[in-house]
Amino acid sequence: MPTLNEFLMLGAILFCLSIAGIFLNRKNLIILLMCIELMLLAVNMNFIAFSYFSGDIAGQVFVFFILTVAAAEAAIGLAILVVLFRNRATINVDDLDSMKG
Amino acid sequence: MIKFTFYFFSIILIFAAMRLITVRNPVHAALFLVLSFFSSASIWLLLHAEFLAIALILVYVGAVMVLFLFVVMMLDINVTMIRDGFARYMPVATLVGVVILVEMGLVIFSHLPEVQPVVMAADVSNTKMLGQVLYTIYVYPFEIAAVILLVAMVAAIALTHIPRTRMKYQTPSHQVNVRRQDRVRLVKMPTEPKD
Amino acid sequence: MVDMSTFIDVAVYLGIILIKILVLVFPLFIVVAYYTLAERKIIGYMQVRVGPNRVGFDAVPGLRRIRGLGQPIADAVKLMFKEIVIPTNANVFLFVIAPVLSFAPAIAAWAVIPFDDGWVVADINVGLLYLLAMTSISVYGVIIAGWASNSKYAFLGSIRSAAQIISYEIAMGFTLVGVVLAAGSLNLSDIVMAQKGSLIHWYWLPLFPLFIIYFISATAETNRAPFDVAEGESEIVAGFHTEYSGMLFAVFFLAEYANMILVSALAVIMFLGGWLSPFEGTILGETILGQHGIVWFLLKTSIFMLLFLWFRATFPRYRYDQIMRLGWKIFIPITLVWIVVEAAAVLANLPPWFVEG
Repeated sequence: MPTLNEFLMLGAILFCLSIAGIFLNRKNLIILLMCIELMLLAVNMNFIAFSYFSGDIAGQVFVFFILTVAAAEAAIGLAILVVLFRNRATINVDDLDSMKG
Repeated sequence: MIKFTFYFFSIILIFAAMRLITVRNPVHAALFLVLSFFSSASIWLLLHAEFLAIALILVYVGAVMVLFLFVVMMLDINVTMIRDGFARYMPVATLVGVVILVEMGLVIFSHLPEVQPVVMAADVSNTKMLGQVLYTIYVYPFEIAAVILLVAMVAAIALTHIPRTRMKYQTPSHQVNVRRQDRVRLVKMPTEPKD
Repeated sequence: MVDMSTFIDVAVYLGIILIKILVLVFPLFIVVAYYTLAERKIIGYMQVRVGPNRVGFDAVPGLRRIRGLGQPIADAVKLMFKEIVIPTNANVFLFVIAPVLSFAPAIAAWAVIPFDDGWVVADINVGLLYLLAMTSISVYGVIIAGWASNSKYAFLGSIRSAAQIISYEIAMGFTLVGVVLAAGSLNLSDIVMAQKGSLIHWYWLPLFPLFIIYFISATAETNRAPFDVAEGESEIVAGFHTEYSGMLFAVFFLAEYANMILVSALAVIMFLGGWLSPFEGTILGETILGQHGIVWFLLKTSIFMLLFLWFRATFPRYRYDQIMRLGWKIFIPITLVWIVVEAAAVLANLPPWFVEG
């Protein structure tokens, strides 16, 4: 069985990749949303690893709630994105500057 | 054996995550995200979290990612315009990523001793255990989560719904109930005299 | 350093699993092949035709030659030798992998189906959830096929099909919730054993609305007539597999039929007592007819498989908005109401179904 550290390292690598992804794709709204999903996945990985290694089911309950909230977030995020595209015909973050003072 | 499985799926997972942040096409990115969900579900199975592993596939792969794919495919996104500046941000992104990774690695390897897994009761299934705490200790959070989902559903529909105007409807019952008297009117007219 | 004996143990373990899979999959393939023949023959007879009747062989030596029995094999050979055309500007990798993505879940889902007491490849605790997950990922084959084809018809077909599958999955999920509520387990063998008793102990009676909705949703889920707008020939050619030819097309075809057999088997397991004998608890219960066994499972499953063909020969195709209305506005409310009714019955320990509680 892999040790707890290995699972945590995997979570850390995923988290860093998703942060790098947010930097790299900072113009593309939809990939930003996907990077956030990946970040939540990394967090969930840690929760489940801790839950297994400390024999406490509470970690899995947390993951359950994170999944719920993340699904809601994805639904609303995509809805906003669709409305945005309908109004502005772009999802480029740089073009969304109509609130600029 | 388990170690081998873990490394196998971890490598796939990291590869998928890497491709997710570097591919040009958003559809490919979404498919790589699906792949990473799959491989992490497999890793969760190793950690005896069967219910969550399958829920991840059911909810994320089966519903959320399909939604993503729908949106990506239906929106006509100009890929090339969105990609400029990719090379410019590459050094910063790598730097930030590596720094955070190193910090996390230091924390993980310096503070945590080797922990042996606490064996949970093997005769009770994971789903049952989760259900037992979810519906007793965490019942209020559970209900709040349900309300959040409801709000998200209402919000998503309210945001994207376009009220259908100028739609032409037919009511079949009216069509069926039409009688001859409603449509045809026979008029008696005197014959016109010839000039 | 890996110990030699553990290595052998692992190899033996994997070998046993592999043999189980082969024992399951080969008969399944043969059934799928002959299901296509049965479809053409049965619909043919329903429409006063004879169906395929040229390619044949002697089924039993010495008896009359049965016409048409070789048709699936002839079809397979024909498809294998056909050229696989890849459209211009199509994404080749995704184009080729899409049929596999729709076929693999259809086969993988069979792992948890119990054929008889203990006759199951993987007896897992979350069997029903696993099945739901597998049916939900078969959407990807369709979406990817439509998108990678670089064709408007294929794309429209795949969008239609995916939206339909996702919508009906909710109604189907609720019917499964009803079954889980009744049986108190997600394990398919336990669900069958919970229906033990007699014909009226099976869940089709207390869950009758869910049973009907399950089967209609399953028809929609497998994209079969009358819900086959995804490939409505008169509207969008052949839907998501417009651009597919040869063996790639055949794999889509196999997936569709494997899925049909799968949902039939599931209907039998969840509502009609799986391998349990219908004569149990009657005066015939002591005779050979009262014995439980795989024969009953196969018989019941084939009745549902026949129903699929019958539907196709009988009903005209639904309009797309009507399909969506049926799924969202009729099926989901009915299933929700029935789950509440059923929950009350379970709480009240309503005999004979929900006794021990």
